Amino acid sequence: MNMLLMQCKVEMLRIIRNPYYVFWSLLMPIVFYFIFTRLVNSGSDDVKAWQAHYLMSMTTFSVMGSAIMTVGIRMVQEQTLGWSVYMRITPLPGSIYFIAKMFGQTVMHAFSVIVIFIAGFLINGVHMSLFQWIGSGLWILIASIPFLALGTLFGTMKRVDTASGVSNVVYMVMAVLGGMWMPLDSFPSVLQAIGKWLPSYNYGSGVWSIAAGEAPAWKPMLILAGYLFLFMVLSIYIRKRQEAV
Amino acid sequence: MEHIAEIEHVSKIFAGKTVVDDVSFVIPRGSVTAVLGPNGAGKTTVLSMMLGLREPSQGSVKLFGQSPKQVQVKRRIGAMLQDVSVIDSLKVYEVMNMVRSYYPNPLRMVDMIHLAGFTSDELNKRAEKLSGGQKRRLGFALALAGDPDLLFFDEPTVGLDAPARRAFWQQVDRLADQGKTILFSTHYLQEAEDAAHRILLFNKGKIAADGTPDEIVSRLTSRSVSFIADWDGNDTYPVLEMIHRMRAIPGVSDCKEQEGRWVVTTDNTDTVLAALFRYGIPARDIRTGQGRLDDAFELMLTHDEQDKEAVSS
Repeated sequence: MNMLLMQCKVEMLRIIRNPYYVFWSLLMPIVFYFIFTRLVNSGSDDVKAWQAHYLMSMTTFSVMGSAIMTVGIRMVQEQTLGWSVYMRITPLPGSIYFIAKMFGQTVMHAFSVIVIFIAGFLINGVHMSLFQWIGSGLWILIASIPFLALGTLFGTMKRVDTASGVSNVVYMVMAVLGGMWMPLDSFPSVLQAIGKWLPSYNYGSGVWSIAAGEAPAWKPMLILAGYLFLFMVLSIYIRKRQEAV
Repeated sequence: MEHIAEIEHVSKIFAGKTVVDDVSFVIPRGSVTAVLGPNGAGKTTVLSMMLGLREPSQGSVKLFGQSPKQVQVKRRIGAMLQDVSVIDSLKVYEVMNMVRSYYPNPLRMVDMIHLAGFTSDELNKRAEKLSGGQKRRLGFALALAGDPDLLFFDEPTVGLDAPARRAFWQQVDRLADQGKTILFSTHYLQEAEDAAHRILLFNKGKIAADGTPDEIVSRLTSRSVSFIADWDGNDTYPVLEMIHRMRAIPGVSDCKEQEGRWVVTTDNTDTVLAALFRYGIPARDIRTGQGRLDDAFELMLTHDEQDKEAVSS
């Protein structure tokens, strides 16, 4: 237990001390939020609804990013530093190491969610019921698990440059095509059709429903579960192959 | 239990190439063993199999009578590996505390700080900002975090300056005095000779020699008897007869003239001396000598390089 607590603490310290985390996961989404709800006229009929919707977009954008990027790049870094080899000769079980990583990451996500929600409240006075706030936050945390798995998949790459390049591109493409930057219905129909099957759209979709006062549909949950399964199987498969030396 | 580690008929094949070839040895409790050999001799591969990082292709590795992958084993070992840098974004004392938390009976923090010799300034530094030598000291302290019975040091002094090397071996001596079992790899002969009770000499994936430093020295180096022979006239017959007789002595591998002196290379100089008098060879200025271990070691390395060139060309 002592081991697990210590490991979680260490992982959180490492994330919060990373300047990229503060920039990408906190500053960027808040700045975007400010620009797209205050400076740019969205042309939306219901301004209040748009402000709540876009707050969710930016929060999912933040958490999705840090799930994919931080986890993946960290793992590659530890590999190249030889640190993950060192861990294997210590009595720390690999499972605790992994759980601590995921838990630490989730706590940091919770922190991001709270900060960005507060920013939304301060910038636009976004108004939702307590139930909606908590429900949105929970959705964002729980539905981020497939992205943690995707980060783990990128974490099997050999070089930090490759991992950060690939995860950056995937992150940005998914954010745009998933309607996190602007609503999907402003896109050509082909892109809309693709976007609806992306994990990013389905991630946003559930929380957009909650912000609009509806329950999330089953479809995004099933699609996200499917992606989680896919990413997990792939990263376990690759890792097993790499370890078989 | 007498043996801390038992390695039985272990081989490792990477992509069709045999890196470790049917190696067997045991490590008794409290011993200090050097795994000596040139680069590519299989030292690191043997160590990583002993640490459970790599799976032997054949044979078995047992530490404390168990597989090195068992958590009970990992609790009793510590290691400083090559190519392991420090974890990033953590302060030195945080890294130490983290690693201590992995072990049931860790060293006290003060003892670890003492071992690494860190000042309070250094303890509060981010681990990745330490210099190379400081990182090595941190690695050394981390290897001891669990107060292990068995320690592995893989090429521990590469890149260290002379005072840091000396300090390192002094600490190893102290650990040996405390009864810890130590296994280290090195390609510096002098270190193996000075620090180890026993040398396992690796070459091309096999154990070329196994013994105390003294035994290794005598096995690796050749002894010789050299003398000046005063023949009457230019009679070549006694010269040929002498060469023939010398070569017939058991243990003699060569008899030839070098820079005006006759040199007889042998395992046993006494029998050669006896023969000189028995055959009435007109020898004067007789000297016995021993080749330097360094030379023998160098010779082994150069053979290796020739092999490599032969393979690559």
